[in-house]
Amino acid sequence: MPTIRVTGLHVRHRKTVALDSLDVDFGPGVHGLLGPNGAGKTSLIRVLATVAEPAGGRVEILGEDTGDHRRLGDVRRRLGYLPQDFGYYPGFTVREFVAYVAWLKEMPAAATPSAVERAVARVGLADRIDAKVRTLSGGMVRRVGIAQAIVNAPQVLLFDEPTAGLDPEQRVEFRELLRELGTSATVIVSTHLVEDVAAACTEVTLVDEGRVAYRGTPQSLAALGETAVGVSGDNPIERGYTAALRAHRAHGSAAQAVRTLEGTAR
Amino acid sequence: MTGWHASDDLVTRYASGSLPEPDAWSVEKHLESCGGCAARVSLAVRQTAAGVVLADVREAVLGAGLGTALGTALGTALEAGATRTAPGARTGRGARASAAPGAPAPSTPVTSRARLWASRRLAPPPAGSRAARVLWAAGPAVRGAWPVAVLGVALAAVLLARFADFAGARPLLLAVAPVVPIAGVALSYGAHADPLHEIAAATPSAGLRLVLTRTAAVLAVSLPLLTLAGFLVPSSGAPGAAAWLLPGLALTLASLALAGYVGFRAATAVTGGGWLCAVLSPVLTADGRLTARLAEQVSACLGGATAQGGWAAAAVLCAALLAARRSAYDRLERR
Repeated sequence: MPTIRVTGLHVRHRKTVALDSLDVDFGPGVHGLLGPNGAGKTSLIRVLATVAEPAGGRVEILGEDTGDHRRLGDVRRRLGYLPQDFGYYPGFTVREFVAYVAWLKEMPAAATPSAVERAVARVGLADRIDAKVRTLSGGMVRRVGIAQAIVNAPQVLLFDEPTAGLDPEQRVEFRELLRELGTSATVIVSTHLVEDVAAACTEVTLVDEGRVAYRGTPQSLAALGETAVGVSGDNPIERGYTAALRAHRAHGSAAQAVRTLEGTAR
Repeated sequence: MTGWHASDDLVTRYASGSLPEPDAWSVEKHLESCGGCAARVSLAVRQTAAGVVLADVREAVLGAGLGTALGTALGTALEAGATRTAPGARTGRGARASAAPGAPAPSTPVTSRARLWASRRLAPPPAGSRAARVLWAAGPAVRGAWPVAVLGVALAAVLLARFADFAGARPLLLAVAPVVPIAGVALSYGAHADPLHEIAAATPSAGLRLVLTRTAAVLAVSLPLLTLAGFLVPSSGAPGAAAWLLPGLALTLASLALAGYVGFRAATAVTGGGWLCAVLSPVLTADGRLTARLAEQVSACLGGATAQGGWAAAAVLCAALLAARRSAYDRLERR
């Protein structure tokens, strides 16, 4: 059963349509959101995080309609969200930052200190827990952001470009963390990096021009890349990504695109 | 309180300790404001092994008298209960214990878990950390340059009156004061004002609650400072130093109510700019001595029972509108 169900989602930014009657659902596991710049990935993540208000459509998270004011707090209590860009108050230590977000998430006061330490340890910053956030490197700040997202043991986790700013070793560690989180929660990761998708995701959703251009497993996307003709890329997933994107733009729908690609493959 | 209530299944799972932590926190949040569900949970807990522990606690406390050390009695009773519950008992979070046969052994001893629960209910978190978090939640307007600016306005009024013999200090202060909290609220909420806005907006504290927390902080800083400054300058024909309080509150609430439609910055411009235009435009266009005209105009807007009654009514009306439209503040990012 899906934990997130999106029906007819429509999002506008002034006159630009960011998401156009989007229908998609997500169940437990790690879902990669791929797509070119401006495809609508961040818009989708922000609507799912209950930060942005859609112009139309319905979003259900954990069985609750996020448009229902009375149930919104309950949904938000079970969410974890790492935005693409986030700031912090200059005086914050790592512990204070994560504890403050835990407080905003209405975690019980007695459970907070141990939950904070656990979350910070999971992102490998246990030895820097009392350091000021402003003294940390960009990659470490990103990891602090991940810690605040997971501090409440959320059932739905939304990461927008989480590996931006992480060095290769940290990326590998983060992908391991993603896999671990995906065993008990629905994790949606918006990323530009097909390596993230290949290494950590159980499913991939390719978004283009506000619509779903392709859905499948990383393996099926790679299989498209193996057989697609006339597309470039460093690895099969990249080639599959390009092929799916081209087919979607040529045929206008995900289903038609896949049928075309599968026909090509045969 | 909302129309939602915990289902029987939720109550049973909460009492047995099998509900995941975030779900349990949600239930607990609801229980704070719903006596009916609290009674159902209480009944369900009493029917588990924890009920025996709770009965022992009650007996120990009543037996020892309310003035005795509750913690000691509780610890003793809990340990007794734990001994009775084990082996094979499973504890969830807190004291939600189940005596389900064949259940796995607890990873954490019953007594420490139960004590954690007890400490959670009986002892508040350290005052320092809670105060610090409330201060952070109070927003940038309380920590940043804004309180310094408010202090500057108050000092400037006092210095002008005391050392420059400026007769219009009180009227000018009364004319400007209602705009100060409005500006403070605009500086407190939104992506332009708060580096943590995007993260905070996805938490249950976001929305009207955080807006009101920050508004309260802004008012707590500006009201006493500016009113005190008003008392320290001569009246010069203007109303009393506290005459701006109701208009200030009404305009702040009007700004908040309008923000639900057009966002904070536009609402601030409309209410703050509107007030300044209403007070200062007639002063600048009429003949006569500027300070005397200002005192007259401020008196017309703020002085007397009728004007104050009107501001009080406006404040109540805006507060009611704010309450009625509270869902409009759930997602303010587009505003």
